[in-house]
Amino acid sequence: MVTTYIRRAYSSFVAHVFDIPARLLAFLLFLTLLFIPFAIQNTYYLRILILANVLAIFAVSWDFLVGRTGQISLGHAIFFGIGGYITALLSSSKFFGLPIFLTIPIAILAACIIALALGIPSLRVKGPYLALVTMSFPLILAALLKWYPLNHIFKGEFGIRGLPALVPRLDWMTIGQQRVGEYYVTLILLFAASVILYKIANSKIGLVFVSILDDELASKACGINVTKYKLMGFMISGLFGALAGCIQTHLLRFANPPMFALTLSFLPVIVTFLGGLGTIYGPIVGAYIYYILDSYVLRDWLPRFLKETVGVTLPPEFDFAKLLIFTLIVLILVIKLPRGIAKFTTDKLGDLEEARDLDERGPRIWKTYKKKEKTTSTGSEPTASS
Amino acid sequence: MLEIKDLTVHYDGAMALNRVSLKVEEGEFVGVVGPNGSGKTTLLRAISGVLMEIEPGKKERPSLSGSIMFNGKGIDKSKAWNITKMGVIHCPERRRPFAEMTTLDNLRMGAYLRKNRSEIKKDLEWVYELFPILKERARQMSQTLSGGEQQMLAIGRALMSKPKLLLIDEPSLGLAPLLKEAVLKVIKEIWRSGVTILLVEQDVAITLASAQRIYILAHGRIATQGTKEELMKSRDVREIYLGL
Repeated sequence: MVTTYIRRAYSSFVAHVFDIPARLLAFLLFLTLLFIPFAIQNTYYLRILILANVLAIFAVSWDFLVGRTGQISLGHAIFFGIGGYITALLSSSKFFGLPIFLTIPIAILAACIIALALGIPSLRVKGPYLALVTMSFPLILAALLKWYPLNHIFKGEFGIRGLPALVPRLDWMTIGQQRVGEYYVTLILLFAASVILYKIANSKIGLVFVSILDDELASKACGINVTKYKLMGFMISGLFGALAGCIQTHLLRFANPPMFALTLSFLPVIVTFLGGLGTIYGPIVGAYIYYILDSYVLRDWLPRFLKETVGVTLPPEFDFAKLLIFTLIVLILVIKLPRGIAKFTTDKLGDLEEARDLDERGPRIWKTYKKKEKTTSTGSEPTASS
Repeated sequence: MLEIKDLTVHYDGAMALNRVSLKVEEGEFVGVVGPNGSGKTTLLRAISGVLMEIEPGKKERPSLSGSIMFNGKGIDKSKAWNITKMGVIHCPERRRPFAEMTTLDNLRMGAYLRKNRSEIKKDLEWVYELFPILKERARQMSQTLSGGEQQMLAIGRALMSKPKLLLIDEPSLGLAPLLKEAVLKVIKEIWRSGVTILLVEQDVAITLASAQRIYILAHGRIATQGTKEELMKSRDVREIYLGL
């Protein structure tokens, strides 16, 4: 009973993961992520990875909206900020003091409803106009939060501080252990979010999204309520964007107006183009590349390297140059590798898979093929059906 | 089955259809022919309800007056998906398959509104029977199909919606003469299986050869209508509109 179950699990693993190089690579990367805290003891580096996880959730939600439903949003920070602020207000001990496992779902649902409310007017415009309209939303809200008469609620630029942590630090915990806990919580949420979005994107609903992206008129001729699905895309994306905002709020333990900043709207764009648009897994890869470049290479390694070898100390203005460097990287990528790094890799691996003969494929398919050959014993060449 | 009375459509001031009245009985094969810009596509878009949603949110929407009745129900104010639900299926001009999908997925999209899986499967088999090439191309991206195959796919997708009334917009567009005839032959076969067809065409000869009744549309007006014999009788009609 148990052995058959294990055998079935093993054979399905071989068929669905082991046989396909791209999935095997993804699986290995996931294993690496799972065991990274054992290799890295430095809490700063772990912190970078935690923030990369949060950014990955955020970018995946953006990728779903833009890559799968084709609605360009340059104001995705609004969901991030709304999620963060709502959970901050509800969980802050000065206001309601609710536990975070209650406030985060409430914040996510509220962001969903707000996404619906924002989606209705913004669906009247398309393409670049939609991008501009969505870009304005977070800026309006940020201004509202800094508005003087509301200062006793939102505390203006200072933000709401002193919030409960995502993983509370118990008496016996060291900072490192707390970080490890945070890392696993964010990693699990990232995994859950990307699996859910991937499943949606590959379900019938995802097919409808692709059809709307391809040809709206033909979709209508098929009887699809285009407006409904566009709003649904907005809401699903807003839901996961808000989740990222909630997590970051409780990680950093404050919510402030820069959560609505333009930078946060553009970050998912950069990250998604690094990884590959419309792939779901691309933004995850992109988020890690971004954070490793931004927080390790440019902030940590490069100044140290320059100091030790050349003897030059980088001025503090170098921080601004980082944005320039990322712009350059994205520009080069868009020209040279428009599919993004992750998509490019998987495509290459996919070519590899097709080039292999049926004989050389993984164990299960190889065995069934051999069995067939034995029973029929014709020994005819396998013909590839195209 | 379909009854249009005094349908007038303006695009931003320009008149596309001028008091068009048209009638399609159940089980009929009706053709509409006319030169470029005579309002053929507009007519079909108005019937299927897509017309009012071409450019959502634009200030200058097309304006529509008159009445369109399907099985005794007015559908000129209905949304496109409701009209599709009633069984009026539009097979749009220039084929418009979903380029990023496989052929099979395209056909599955056609059956979007239907729930009964066994019936969908039966219809899929039927479509494959009508267009055997689609079965061969089932796993291929539809943008890599040839023009004729794309046209077959578009008709197949419309069939997957289980149409009562099938509106076909210029199936012969950009096809070789032999392919045109093949596509028309299949359309006739679909009609014989009990689907009412309203065919809009520029190619007069093939429409005359297949449709039971033909409307001639010119400058947004119905110039004349009748069976093939009736139309061929009048010399004026033959020379001015049909060019035969």
